[in-house]
Amino acid sequence: MTSLLLRADDVLRRRLRTERAAPKDIAWLAALIAAFGMFYGGLMGSYGGMWGPAALQMVYGAVKVPILLLATFALSLPSFFVLNSLAGLRSDFVPAVRALAATQAGLAVILASLAPFTLLWYASVGHYQAAIFFNALMFTVASVSAQVILRFHYQPLIRRNANHRWMLRAWFVVYAFVGIQMGWVLRPFIGDPGSPVQFFRSESWGNAYVIVAHMMWRLLFP
Amino acid sequence: MKKFVSWLVELDRILRGDATRVVDLKDGSIRISLGGVSLVLVLLGMTYGLCMGVFALVTSDNRMQMVASAVKVPALFVLTLLVTLPSLYVFNALVGSRLTVASLVRLFVAALAVNLAVLASLGPIIAFFALSTISYSFIVLLNVVIFTVSGVAGLAFLLQTLHRLNIAPRIVRLAASTAPAPPPVPPVTGEPAAAAESWQVPAEGTALDHIGQAQVDQSQVVEAQAVDEDAGPLDEIEGYALGRHTKLIFDCWIILFGLVGAQMSWVLRPFIGSPAVPFQWLRPRGSNFFEAVLDAVRSLFS
Repeated sequence: MTSLLLRADDVLRRRLRTERAAPKDIAWLAALIAAFGMFYGGLMGSYGGMWGPAALQMVYGAVKVPILLLATFALSLPSFFVLNSLAGLRSDFVPAVRALAATQAGLAVILASLAPFTLLWYASVGHYQAAIFFNALMFTVASVSAQVILRFHYQPLIRRNANHRWMLRAWFVVYAFVGIQMGWVLRPFIGDPGSPVQFFRSESWGNAYVIVAHMMWRLLFP
Repeated sequence: MKKFVSWLVELDRILRGDATRVVDLKDGSIRISLGGVSLVLVLLGMTYGLCMGVFALVTSDNRMQMVASAVKVPALFVLTLLVTLPSLYVFNALVGSRLTVASLVRLFVAALAVNLAVLASLGPIIAFFALSTISYSFIVLLNVVIFTVSGVAGLAFLLQTLHRLNIAPRIVRLAASTAPAPPPVPPVTGEPAAAAESWQVPAEGTALDHIGQAQVDQSQVVEAQAVDEDAGPLDEIEGYALGRHTKLIFDCWIILFGLVGAQMSWVLRPFIGSPAVPFQWLRPRGSNFFEAVLDAVRSLFS
Protein backbone atom coordinates (compact mmCIF):
# COMPACT_ATOMS: atom_id res chain seq x y z
CA MET A 1 0.00 0.00 0.00
CA THR A 2 2.72 2.48 1.02
CA SER A 3 4.85 1.61 -1.99
CA LEU A 4 1.82 2.23 -4.22
CA LEU A 5 1.36 5.70 -2.74
CA LEU A 6 5.07 6.42 -3.02
CA ARG A 7 5.05 5.38 -6.67
CA ALA A 8 2.02 7.58 -7.26
CA ASP A 9 3.97 10.46 -5.76
CA ASP A 10 6.92 9.68 -8.07
CA VAL A 11 4.61 9.83 -11.08
CA LEU A 12 3.18 13.20 -10.08
CA ARG A 13 6.58 14.69 -9.36
CA ARG A 14 7.95 13.26 -12.64
CA ARG A 15 10.79 11.38 -10.95
CA LEU A 16 12.09 9.32 -13.84
CA ARG A 17 14.23 6.25 -13.31
CA THR A 18 16.90 5.09 -15.78
CA GLU A 19 15.77 3.82 -19.14
CA ARG A 20 16.84 0.30 -18.22
CA ALA A 21 14.23 0.28 -15.43
CA ALA A 22 11.48 1.16 -17.91
CA PRO A 23 9.89 -2.32 -18.34
CA LYS A 24 9.44 -2.77 -14.56
CA ASP A 25 8.12 0.77 -14.35
CA ILE A 26 5.44 -0.01 -16.91
CA ALA A 27 4.15 -2.88 -14.75
CA TRP A 28 3.97 -0.57 -11.73
CA LEU A 29 2.23 2.12 -13.73
CA ALA A 30 -0.42 -0.38 -14.89
CA ALA A 31 -0.99 -1.27 -11.21
CA LEU A 32 -1.38 2.43 -10.37
CA ILE A 33 -3.92 2.90 -13.17
CA ALA A 34 -5.90 -0.09 -11.87
CA ALA A 35 -5.79 0.91 -8.19
CA PHE A 36 -6.58 4.61 -8.50
CA GLY A 37 -9.02 3.98 -11.34
CA MET A 38 -10.93 1.55 -9.10
CA PHE A 39 -11.04 4.17 -6.36
CA TYR A 40 -12.57 6.84 -8.58
CA GLY A 41 -14.84 4.37 -10.40
CA GLY A 42 -16.23 3.07 -7.14
CA LEU A 43 -17.05 6.55 -5.89
CA MET A 44 -18.44 7.52 -9.30
CA GLY A 45 -20.99 4.75 -8.98
CA SER A 46 -22.19 5.96 -5.59
CA TYR A 47 -24.65 8.37 -7.20
CA GLY A 48 -27.59 6.07 -6.55
CA GLY A 49 -26.58 5.54 -2.95
CA MET A 50 -23.88 3.76 -0.97
CA TRP A 51 -26.22 1.20 0.60
CA GLY A 52 -28.82 -1.16 -0.69
CA PRO A 53 -29.16 -2.55 -4.22
CA ALA A 54 -27.90 0.66 -5.88
CA ALA A 55 -24.54 0.14 -4.17
CA LEU A 56 -23.82 -2.57 -6.74
CA GLN A 57 -23.19 0.26 -9.19
CA MET A 58 -20.14 1.18 -7.08
CA VAL A 59 -18.69 -2.27 -7.65
CA TYR A 60 -19.43 -2.05 -11.37
CA GLY A 61 -17.86 1.42 -11.56
CA ALA A 62 -14.76 0.22 -9.70
CA VAL A 63 -14.31 -2.53 -12.28
CA LYS A 64 -15.12 -0.43 -15.32
CA VAL A 65 -12.83 2.60 -14.97
CA PRO A 66 -9.60 0.53 -14.94
CA ILE A 67 -10.94 -1.54 -17.85
CA LEU A 68 -11.73 1.66 -19.75
CA LEU A 69 -8.20 3.00 -19.28
CA LEU A 70 -6.23 -0.24 -19.66
CA ALA A 71 -8.26 -1.80 -22.51
CA THR A 72 -8.10 1.38 -24.58
CA PHE A 73 -4.34 1.49 -23.97
CA ALA A 74 -3.92 -2.17 -24.96
CA LEU A 75 -5.99 -1.81 -28.15
CA SER A 76 -4.03 1.22 -29.29
CA LEU A 77 -0.60 -0.25 -28.54
CA PRO A 78 -0.04 -2.64 -31.52
CA SER A 79 -0.52 0.07 -34.15
CA PHE A 80 1.64 2.45 -32.06
CA PHE A 81 4.38 -0.20 -32.11
CA VAL A 82 4.27 -0.70 -35.88
CA LEU A 83 4.13 3.04 -36.64
CA ASN A 84 7.04 3.76 -34.28
CA SER A 85 9.10 1.07 -36.02
CA LEU A 86 8.35 2.52 -39.45
CA ALA A 87 9.27 5.99 -38.22
CA GLY A 88 12.69 4.71 -37.12
CA LEU A 89 11.87 5.08 -33.41
CA ARG A 90 12.10 1.44 -32.32
CA SER A 91 14.99 2.01 -29.93
CA ASP A 92 12.87 4.56 -28.06
CA PHE A 93 9.76 2.39 -27.95
CA VAL A 94 9.92 1.24 -24.31
CA PRO A 95 10.62 4.76 -22.95
CA ALA A 96 7.76 6.05 -25.14
CA VAL A 97 5.34 3.46 -23.72
CA ARG A 98 6.53 4.30 -20.22
CA ALA A 99 5.82 7.98 -20.90
CA LEU A 100 2.29 7.17 -22.06
CA ALA A 101 1.67 4.79 -19.15
CA ALA A 102 2.96 7.43 -16.71
CA THR A 103 0.48 9.91 -18.16
CA GLN A 104 -2.39 7.45 -17.73
CA ALA A 105 -1.27 6.67 -14.19
CA GLY A 106 -1.07 10.39 -13.48
CA LEU A 107 -4.59 10.79 -14.85
CA ALA A 108 -5.86 8.04 -12.53
CA VAL A 109 -4.10 9.54 -9.49
CA ILE A 110 -5.41 13.04 -10.24
CA LEU A 111 -8.92 11.66 -10.77
CA ALA A 112 -8.76 9.89 -7.42
CA SER A 113 -7.76 13.18 -5.79
CA LEU A 114 -10.83 14.84 -7.36
CA ALA A 115 -13.20 12.15 -6.03
CA PRO A 116 -14.17 14.15 -2.89
CA PHE A 117 -15.48 16.93 -5.19
CA THR A 118 -17.61 14.40 -7.01
CA LEU A 119 -19.05 13.14 -3.72
CA LEU A 120 -19.85 16.68 -2.63
CA TRP A 121 -21.56 17.28 -5.99
CA TYR A 122 -23.65 14.11 -5.59
CA ALA A 123 -24.67 15.25 -2.10
CA SER A 124 -25.63 18.73 -3.35
CA VAL A 125 -27.19 18.28 -6.78
CA GLY A 126 -29.87 15.69 -7.57
CA HIS A 127 -30.04 15.70 -11.41
CA TYR A 128 -28.65 12.66 -13.23
CA GLN A 129 -27.61 14.80 -16.22
CA ALA A 130 -25.75 17.13 -13.87
CA ALA A 131 -23.92 14.13 -12.39
CA ILE A 132 -22.83 13.04 -15.88
CA PHE A 133 -21.69 16.57 -16.65
CA PHE A 134 -19.65 16.84 -13.43
CA ASN A 135 -17.89 13.52 -13.96
CA ALA A 136 -17.08 14.51 -17.54
CA LEU A 137 -15.63 17.72 -16.11
CA MET A 138 -13.48 15.78 -13.61
CA PHE A 139 -12.19 13.50 -16.36
CA THR A 140 -11.37 16.55 -18.49
CA VAL A 141 -9.51 18.30 -15.66
CA ALA A 142 -7.53 15.13 -14.93
CA SER A 143 -6.68 14.57 -18.64
CA VAL A 144 -5.52 18.13 -19.15
CA SER A 145 -3.45 18.12 -15.97
CA ALA A 146 -1.86 14.80 -16.87
CA GLN A 147 -0.48 16.39 -20.07
CA VAL A 148 2.17 18.07 -17.86
CA ILE A 149 3.54 14.60 -17.09
CA LEU A 150 3.37 13.60 -20.77
CA ARG A 151 5.21 16.69 -21.91
CA PHE A 152 7.95 16.15 -19.33
CA HIS A 153 8.57 12.55 -20.35
CA TYR A 154 8.31 13.12 -24.09
CA GLN A 155 10.57 16.20 -24.35
CA PRO A 156 13.86 14.22 -24.31
CA LEU A 157 12.42 11.79 -26.88
CA ILE A 158 11.34 14.61 -29.19
CA ARG A 159 14.75 16.23 -28.83
CA ARG A 160 16.32 12.95 -29.94
CA ASN A 161 14.06 12.58 -32.96
CA ALA A 162 11.32 14.95 -34.17
CA ASN A 163 9.25 12.01 -35.52
CA HIS A 164 8.17 11.38 -31.92
CA ARG A 165 5.94 14.42 -32.16
CA TRP A 166 4.04 12.84 -35.05
CA MET A 167 3.79 9.53 -33.20
CA LEU A 168 2.32 11.34 -30.22
CA ARG A 169 -0.32 12.96 -32.41
CA ALA A 170 -1.17 9.61 -33.99
CA TRP A 171 -1.44 8.11 -30.48
CA PHE A 172 -3.90 10.83 -29.39
CA VAL A 173 -6.10 10.26 -32.43
CA VAL A 174 -6.21 6.46 -32.09
CA TYR A 175 -6.54 6.54 -28.27
CA ALA A 176 -9.36 9.09 -28.32
CA PHE A 177 -11.16 7.23 -31.13
CA VAL A 178 -11.06 3.91 -29.31
CA GLY A 179 -11.56 5.46 -25.85
CA ILE A 180 -14.79 7.24 -26.76
CA GLN A 181 -16.33 4.01 -28.04
CA MET A 182 -14.97 2.08 -25.06
CA GLY A 183 -16.57 4.59 -22.69
CA TRP A 184 -19.88 4.30 -24.55
CA VAL A 185 -19.83 0.50 -24.54
CA LEU A 186 -18.95 0.24 -20.85
CA ARG A 187 -21.72 2.54 -19.65
CA PRO A 188 -23.38 3.01 -17.25
CA PHE A 189 -20.66 4.32 -14.96
CA ILE A 190 -22.89 6.44 -12.76
CA GLY A 191 -26.23 4.69 -13.00
CA ASP A 192 -29.49 6.37 -13.98
CA PRO A 193 -31.67 6.12 -10.86
CA GLY A 194 -34.67 5.49 -13.15
CA SER A 195 -33.10 2.34 -14.66
CA PRO A 196 -32.17 -0.94 -13.01
CA VAL A 197 -28.58 -1.50 -11.91
CA GLN A 198 -26.86 -3.33 -14.80
CA PHE A 199 -23.27 -3.92 -15.90
CA PHE A 200 -24.08 -3.05 -19.52
CA ARG A 201 -27.04 -1.19 -21.00
CA SER A 202 -27.92 -3.92 -23.49
CA GLU A 203 -30.80 -2.12 -25.17
CA SER A 204 -28.59 0.82 -26.06
CA TRP A 205 -25.65 -1.28 -27.30
CA GLY A 206 -24.37 0.76 -30.16
CA ASN A 207 -21.83 3.04 -31.58
CA ALA A 208 -21.01 6.41 -30.03
CA TYR A 209 -20.04 7.90 -33.39
CA VAL A 210 -23.15 6.75 -35.25
CA ILE A 211 -25.33 8.17 -32.50
CA VAL A 212 -23.50 11.49 -32.52
CA ALA A 213 -23.65 11.57 -36.36
CA HIS A 214 -27.43 10.99 -36.23
CA MET A 215 -27.80 13.70 -33.58
CA MET A 216 -25.78 16.16 -35.67
CA TRP A 217 -27.82 15.34 -38.80
CA ARG A 218 -31.09 15.88 -36.96
CA LEU A 219 -29.79 19.16 -35.58
CA LEU A 220 -28.70 20.45 -38.97
CA PHE A 221 -31.61 19.04 -40.99
CA PRO A 222 -34.66 18.82 -38.65
CA MET B 1 9.22 -23.23 -35.16
CA LYS B 2 12.71 -21.71 -35.11
CA LYS B 3 12.38 -20.96 -38.82
CA PHE B 4 9.07 -19.22 -38.21
CA VAL B 5 10.61 -17.07 -35.48
CA SER B 6 13.44 -16.15 -37.84
CA TRP B 7 10.86 -15.04 -40.43
CA LEU B 8 9.17 -12.88 -37.80
CA VAL B 9 12.56 -11.39 -37.02
CA GLU B 10 12.95 -10.64 -40.75
CA LEU B 11 9.59 -8.88 -40.74
CA ASP B 12 10.83 -6.86 -37.78
CA ARG B 13 14.00 -5.96 -39.67
CA ILE B 14 11.89 -4.69 -42.57
CA LEU B 15 9.72 -2.60 -40.26
CA ARG B 16 12.68 -1.03 -38.48
CA GLY B 17 14.39 -0.20 -41.74
CA ASP B 18 17.33 -2.58 -41.12
CA ALA B 19 16.57 -4.50 -44.33
CA THR B 20 16.61 -1.36 -46.46
CA ARG B 21 19.76 0.50 -45.36
CA VAL B 22 21.39 2.04 -48.42
CA VAL B 23 24.65 0.09 -47.93
CA ASP B 24 22.76 -3.22 -47.93
CA LEU B 25 20.97 -2.42 -51.18
CA LYS B 26 24.10 -2.06 -53.30
CA ASP B 27 23.51 -5.43 -55.03
CA GLY B 28 20.25 -4.06 -56.36
CA SER B 29 18.01 -6.28 -54.26
CA ILE B 30 16.62 -6.45 -50.73
CA ARG B 31 18.10 -9.35 -48.83
CA ILE B 32 15.05 -11.07 -47.40
CA SER B 33 13.83 -14.64 -47.40
CA LEU B 34 11.09 -14.42 -50.03
CA GLY B 35 9.18 -17.54 -48.98
CA GLY B 36 9.37 -16.80 -45.27
CA VAL B 37 8.25 -13.18 -45.48
CA SER B 38 5.47 -14.17 -47.93
CA LEU B 39 4.16 -16.72 -45.43
CA VAL B 40 4.24 -14.16 -42.62
CA LEU B 41 2.36 -11.60 -44.69
CA VAL B 42 -0.31 -14.16 -45.63
CA LEU B 43 -0.74 -14.90 -41.90
CA LEU B 44 -0.99 -11.18 -41.09
CA GLY B 45 -3.62 -10.80 -43.81
CA MET B 46 -5.57 -13.77 -42.45
CA THR B 47 -5.46 -12.25 -38.95
CA TYR B 48 -6.99 -9.04 -40.20
CA GLY B 49 -9.54 -10.99 -42.27
CA LEU B 50 -10.64 -12.81 -39.11
CA CYS B 51 -11.06 -9.48 -37.30
CA MET B 52 -13.12 -8.16 -40.23
CA GLY B 53 -15.36 -11.21 -40.12
CA VAL B 54 -16.19 -10.69 -36.42
CA PHE B 55 -18.94 -8.24 -37.44
CA ALA B 56 -20.85 -10.89 -39.40
CA LEU B 57 -20.38 -13.35 -36.53
CA VAL B 58 -21.91 -10.95 -34.03
CA THR B 59 -24.73 -9.47 -36.12
CA SER B 60 -25.91 -12.48 -38.15
CA ASP B 61 -24.21 -15.47 -36.44
CA ASN B 62 -22.36 -16.08 -39.69
CA ARG B 63 -19.14 -18.04 -39.14
CA MET B 64 -18.36 -18.52 -42.84
CA GLN B 65 -17.67 -14.83 -43.34
CA MET B 66 -14.68 -15.01 -41.00
CA VAL B 67 -13.24 -17.87 -43.05
CA ALA B 68 -14.01 -16.12 -46.33
CA SER B 69 -12.40 -12.85 -45.21
CA ALA B 70 -9.35 -14.66 -43.83
CA VAL B 71 -8.81 -16.07 -47.33
CA LYS B 72 -9.75 -12.92 -49.22
CA VAL B 73 -7.53 -10.33 -47.48
CA PRO B 74 -4.24 -11.99 -48.49
CA ALA B 75 -5.75 -12.73 -51.92
CA LEU B 76 -6.64 -9.06 -52.36
CA PHE B 77 -3.04 -7.99 -51.89
CA VAL B 78 -1.54 -10.76 -54.01
CA LEU B 79 -3.93 -10.03 -56.88
CA THR B 80 -3.30 -6.27 -56.65
CA LEU B 81 0.44 -7.01 -56.80
CA LEU B 82 0.01 -9.16 -59.90
CA VAL B 83 -2.05 -6.48 -61.64
CA THR B 84 0.29 -3.57 -60.85
CA LEU B 85 3.75 -5.19 -60.95
CA PRO B 86 4.19 -5.09 -64.75
CA SER B 87 3.44 -1.37 -64.92
CA LEU B 88 5.80 -0.58 -62.03
CA TYR B 89 8.58 -2.50 -63.76
CA VAL B 90 7.97 -0.61 -67.00
CA PHE B 91 7.84 2.83 -65.36
CA ASN B 92 10.90 2.08 -63.31
CA ALA B 93 12.80 0.96 -66.43
CA LEU B 94 11.71 4.14 -68.25
CA VAL B 95 13.23 6.35 -65.58
CA GLY B 96 16.53 4.59 -66.02
CA SER B 97 16.62 2.04 -63.23
CA ARG B 98 18.59 -1.21 -63.56
CA LEU B 99 16.33 -3.27 -61.30
CA THR B 100 15.32 -6.74 -62.48
CA VAL B 101 11.87 -8.28 -62.14
CA ALA B 102 13.18 -10.53 -59.35
CA SER B 103 14.38 -7.63 -57.25
CA LEU B 104 11.11 -5.77 -57.87
CA VAL B 105 9.16 -8.80 -56.64
CA ARG B 106 11.25 -8.79 -53.44
CA LEU B 107 10.64 -5.09 -53.08
CA PHE B 108 6.91 -5.58 -53.53
CA VAL B 109 6.83 -8.41 -50.99
CA ALA B 110 8.66 -6.22 -48.46
CA ALA B 111 6.23 -3.36 -49.11
CA LEU B 112 3.25 -5.69 -48.71
CA ALA B 113 4.77 -6.92 -45.45
CA VAL B 114 4.79 -3.31 -44.17
CA ASN B 115 1.23 -2.79 -45.43
CA LEU B 116 -0.08 -5.95 -43.78
CA ALA B 117 1.84 -5.34 -40.54
CA VAL B 118 0.11 -1.96 -40.12
CA LEU B 119 -3.20 -3.57 -41.08
CA ALA B 120 -2.86 -6.44 -38.63
CA SER B 121 -1.83 -4.06 -35.83
CA LEU B 122 -5.14 -2.24 -36.32
CA GLY B 123 -7.02 -5.56 -36.30
CA PRO B 124 -7.83 -5.50 -32.55
CA ILE B 125 -9.41 -2.07 -32.96
CA ILE B 126 -11.63 -3.24 -35.83
CA ALA B 127 -12.60 -6.35 -33.85
CA PHE B 128 -13.53 -4.19 -30.85
CA PHE B 129 -15.74 -1.94 -32.97
CA ALA B 130 -17.26 -4.97 -34.72
CA LEU B 131 -18.16 -6.44 -31.32
CA SER B 132 -19.74 -3.28 -30.05
CA THR B 133 -21.59 -1.79 -33.01
CA ILE B 134 -24.48 -2.87 -35.22
CA SER B 135 -23.98 -0.15 -37.83
CA TYR B 136 -22.83 -1.81 -41.07
CA SER B 137 -22.03 1.52 -42.77
CA PHE B 138 -19.77 2.53 -39.88
CA ILE B 139 -17.79 -0.70 -40.04
CA VAL B 140 -17.43 -0.38 -43.81
CA LEU B 141 -16.12 3.17 -43.54
CA LEU B 142 -13.79 2.31 -40.66
CA ASN B 143 -12.31 -0.51 -42.72
CA VAL B 144 -11.85 1.85 -45.68
CA VAL B 145 -9.96 4.27 -43.41
CA ILE B 146 -7.77 1.50 -41.97
CA PHE B 147 -6.96 0.04 -45.40
CA THR B 148 -6.10 3.55 -46.63
CA VAL B 149 -3.76 4.23 -43.70
CA SER B 150 -1.96 0.91 -44.11
CA GLY B 151 -1.87 1.38 -47.88
CA VAL B 152 -0.18 4.75 -47.46
CA ALA B 153 2.45 3.22 -45.17
CA GLY B 154 3.11 0.37 -47.62
CA LEU B 155 3.37 2.69 -50.61
CA ALA B 156 5.64 5.13 -48.80
CA PHE B 157 7.94 2.21 -47.99
CA LEU B 158 7.80 0.96 -51.60
CA LEU B 159 8.74 4.28 -53.12
CA GLN B 160 11.41 5.16 -50.58
CA THR B 161 13.05 1.75 -50.96
CA LEU B 162 12.79 1.92 -54.75
CA HIS B 163 14.57 5.24 -54.61
CA ARG B 164 17.26 3.80 -52.31
CA LEU B 165 17.70 0.73 -54.53
CA ASN B 166 18.29 3.00 -57.48
CA ILE B 167 20.85 5.26 -55.77
CA ALA B 168 22.60 2.61 -53.65
CA PRO B 169 25.01 1.17 -56.25
CA ARG B 170 26.19 4.69 -57.07
CA ILE B 171 26.74 5.74 -53.46
CA VAL B 172 28.63 2.60 -52.49
CA ARG B 173 30.79 2.64 -55.63
CA LEU B 174 31.81 6.25 -54.99
CA ALA B 175 32.52 5.59 -51.33
CA ALA B 176 34.83 2.73 -52.32
CA SER B 177 36.96 4.79 -54.70
CA THR B 178 39.89 6.69 -53.15
CA ALA B 179 40.16 9.53 -55.67
CA PRO B 180 37.32 12.03 -55.97
CA ALA B 181 34.99 10.99 -58.81
CA PRO B 182 35.40 13.05 -62.00
CA PRO B 183 32.24 14.89 -63.04
CA PRO B 184 30.23 12.53 -65.27
CA VAL B 185 29.70 13.41 -68.95
CA PRO B 186 26.11 14.44 -69.64
CA PRO B 187 24.41 12.07 -72.10
CA VAL B 188 23.79 13.34 -75.62
CA THR B 189 21.73 10.43 -76.92
CA GLY B 190 19.04 10.49 -74.19
CA GLU B 191 19.09 6.68 -73.85
CA PRO B 192 17.72 5.70 -70.42
CA ALA B 193 20.53 3.21 -69.76
CA ALA B 194 23.26 5.81 -70.31
CA ALA B 195 21.24 8.44 -68.48
CA ALA B 196 21.24 6.34 -65.32
CA GLU B 197 25.03 6.66 -65.09
CA SER B 198 24.95 10.41 -64.98
CA TRP B 199 24.07 12.34 -61.87
CA GLN B 200 24.28 15.75 -63.51
CA VAL B 201 21.32 17.36 -65.18
CA PRO B 202 22.43 17.49 -68.84
CA ALA B 203 22.68 20.82 -70.58
CA GLU B 204 20.12 19.91 -73.30
CA GLY B 205 17.77 18.03 -71.02
CA THR B 206 16.53 14.58 -71.96
CA ALA B 207 12.93 13.44 -72.25
CA LEU B 208 13.11 11.89 -68.77
CA ASP B 209 14.93 13.12 -65.67
CA HIS B 210 17.37 10.90 -63.82
CA ILE B 211 17.15 9.52 -60.34
CA GLY B 212 18.86 12.21 -58.23
CA GLN B 213 20.00 15.55 -59.49
CA ALA B 214 22.78 16.56 -57.10
CA GLN B 215 26.35 16.30 -58.32
CA VAL B 216 27.92 13.78 -56.02
CA ASP B 217 31.28 14.16 -54.38
CA GLN B 218 32.93 11.87 -51.89
CA SER B 219 32.26 13.89 -48.73
CA GLN B 220 28.54 13.94 -49.51
CA VAL B 221 28.57 10.17 -50.01
CA VAL B 222 30.20 9.46 -46.65
CA GLU B 223 27.74 11.84 -45.01
CA ALA B 224 24.82 10.07 -46.70
CA GLN B 225 25.94 6.75 -45.26
CA ALA B 226 26.19 8.26 -41.78
CA VAL B 227 22.76 9.90 -42.14
CA ASP B 228 21.26 6.53 -43.11
CA GLU B 229 22.32 4.89 -39.82
CA ASP B 230 19.44 6.18 -37.69
CA ALA B 231 16.92 6.68 -40.47
CA GLY B 232 13.72 4.68 -40.52
CA PRO B 233 12.54 2.87 -43.66
CA LEU B 234 10.32 5.80 -44.65
CA ASP B 235 12.86 8.60 -44.09
CA GLU B 236 14.28 10.50 -47.05
CA ILE B 237 18.02 10.21 -47.71
CA GLU B 238 19.51 13.69 -47.67
CA GLY B 239 21.15 15.02 -50.78
CA TYR B 240 19.39 12.70 -53.19
CA ALA B 241 16.17 14.27 -54.37
CA LEU B 242 13.92 12.61 -56.91
CA GLY B 243 13.84 14.19 -60.38
CA ARG B 244 10.67 16.11 -61.18
CA HIS B 245 9.47 13.72 -63.89
CA THR B 246 10.34 10.67 -61.82
CA LYS B 247 8.23 12.01 -58.99
CA LEU B 248 5.37 12.67 -61.37
CA ILE B 249 5.51 9.14 -62.76
CA PHE B 250 5.51 7.58 -59.30
CA ASP B 251 2.71 9.87 -58.11
CA CYS B 252 0.62 8.65 -61.05
CA TRP B 253 1.54 5.07 -60.22
CA ILE B 254 0.43 5.55 -56.59
CA ILE B 255 -2.99 6.73 -57.76
CA LEU B 256 -3.15 3.74 -60.10
CA PHE B 257 -2.26 1.34 -57.26
CA GLY B 258 -4.91 2.90 -55.04
CA LEU B 259 -7.59 2.61 -57.71
CA VAL B 260 -6.69 -1.00 -58.53
CA GLY B 261 -6.64 -1.95 -54.84
CA ALA B 262 -9.99 -0.29 -54.19
CA GLN B 263 -11.72 -1.84 -57.17
CA MET B 264 -10.11 -5.25 -56.50
CA SER B 265 -11.60 -5.13 -53.00
CA TRP B 266 -14.99 -4.44 -54.60
CA VAL B 267 -14.60 -7.36 -57.00
CA LEU B 268 -13.71 -9.71 -54.12
CA ARG B 269 -16.55 -8.54 -51.87
CA PRO B 270 -18.07 -9.27 -49.40
CA PHE B 271 -15.35 -8.88 -46.73
CA ILE B 272 -17.59 -7.79 -43.88
CA GLY B 273 -20.99 -9.22 -44.76
CA SER B 274 -24.07 -7.03 -44.73
CA PRO B 275 -26.57 -8.33 -42.14
CA ALA B 276 -29.37 -7.69 -44.67
CA VAL B 277 -28.00 -10.18 -47.24
CA PRO B 278 -27.30 -13.94 -46.79
CA PHE B 279 -23.70 -15.21 -46.98
CA GLN B 280 -22.11 -15.59 -50.42
CA TRP B 281 -18.47 -16.21 -51.34
CA LEU B 282 -18.64 -13.55 -54.05
CA ARG B 283 -21.39 -11.12 -54.94
CA PRO B 284 -22.49 -10.61 -58.54
CA ARG B 285 -21.00 -7.74 -60.56
CA GLY B 286 -22.54 -4.34 -60.19
CA SER B 287 -21.82 -0.80 -59.02
CA ASN B 288 -18.29 0.04 -57.88
CA PHE B 289 -16.19 0.73 -54.81
CA PHE B 290 -16.53 4.51 -54.79
CA GLU B 291 -20.30 4.52 -55.18
CA ALA B 292 -20.55 2.03 -52.31
CA VAL B 293 -18.43 4.23 -50.02
CA LEU B 294 -20.60 7.27 -50.83
CA ASP B 295 -23.71 5.21 -50.07
CA ALA B 296 -22.22 4.17 -46.74
CA VAL B 297 -21.47 7.80 -45.80
CA ARG B 298 -25.02 8.81 -46.75
CA SER B 299 -26.64 6.02 -44.73
CA LEU B 300 -24.43 6.79 -41.72
CA PHE B 301 -25.95 10.24 -41.42
CA SER B 302 -29.55 9.50 -42.32
